[in-house]
Amino acid sequence: MKKLQTVLLLLLSISIISGCTDKEKFIVYGSPQNEEELKAVLKEEDYVEKTTVIQHDDKMLVTVQIKPWDKWKKAKLEKKLQKKFDELYPDKEVFVSADYKIYYEANKVKKDGLEDEEISDKIKELKKLAKEEA
Amino acid sequence: MEKEQYQQLEQQVTPKPPYLKNIVKAFFVGGIICTIGQAVSLFYMTFFNFTEQTAGNPTVATMVFFAMILTGLGLYKKIGQFGGAGSAVPVTGFGNAVISAAIEHKSEGYVLGVGGNLFKLAGSVVLFGVVSAFFVALIKYILVTLGVVSW
Repeated sequence: MKKLQTVLLLLLSISIISGCTDKEKFIVYGSPQNEEELKAVLKEEDYVEKTTVIQHDDKMLVTVQIKPWDKWKKAKLEKKLQKKFDELYPDKEVFVSADYKIYYEANKVKKDGLEDEEISDKIKELKKLAKEEA
Repeated sequence: MEKEQYQQLEQQVTPKPPYLKNIVKAFFVGGIICTIGQAVSLFYMTFFNFTEQTAGNPTVATMVFFAMILTGLGLYKKIGQFGGAGSAVPVTGFGNAVISAAIEHKSEGYVLGVGGNLFKLAGSVVLFGVVSAFFVALIKYILVTLGVVSW
């Protein structure tokens, strides 16, 4: 029983410590400078926990991480957000994804500091990846 | 001694199983196995081109592989004794059922022994899984047709 207690204590302390790191949750990266506008749009949706948007010209990739309990409705919320963006930016090519992999790759684009055409290519590649099913 | 008397005596003598303790143990063992599974899934997403959708298959394969090694080393039965259902319900329990059957019947030869008995226990898992999946899909199809839920 002693072992179990130590393990539980460890898990508890890890979860508390990891909760304290305060990283930027809303990130917009890319060429058109409409950061505040996009952030405001995404902050309206209270189920969005973290988000990274990468964009170039008329291409936009919106990756979101949904709050834990709302993840039950992930597919629906993804669709809803896609619709919202399609209505807001009818002249842009927007793709919304709530997948962790796409979110991770979008953050990597920012970290690696890709530019212009590279972003475009990456968006195309990630779109293809997100649509893959098997 | 009458039958009822015997049953009474038996109930008096049999120790009460510690249900709550077993449930708590199963909860934590199952939870730890699933946490490892999540870690494997994140590993595939971080280092390979798998999305949340597609990372499931390699994750299951890896977890069964882990169960295979633990069964071969004789460690999985210890986990099973401690965790009960917590170690049997996840896919690792399925892997354990397949591999322990293979080890047990190896002495009877590869075709009639291993081949014939590999799915001795796991076969029923596969069968009931397929059958229940069929009925769940059927119910969902009916509900969608009636317009109660959407896909």
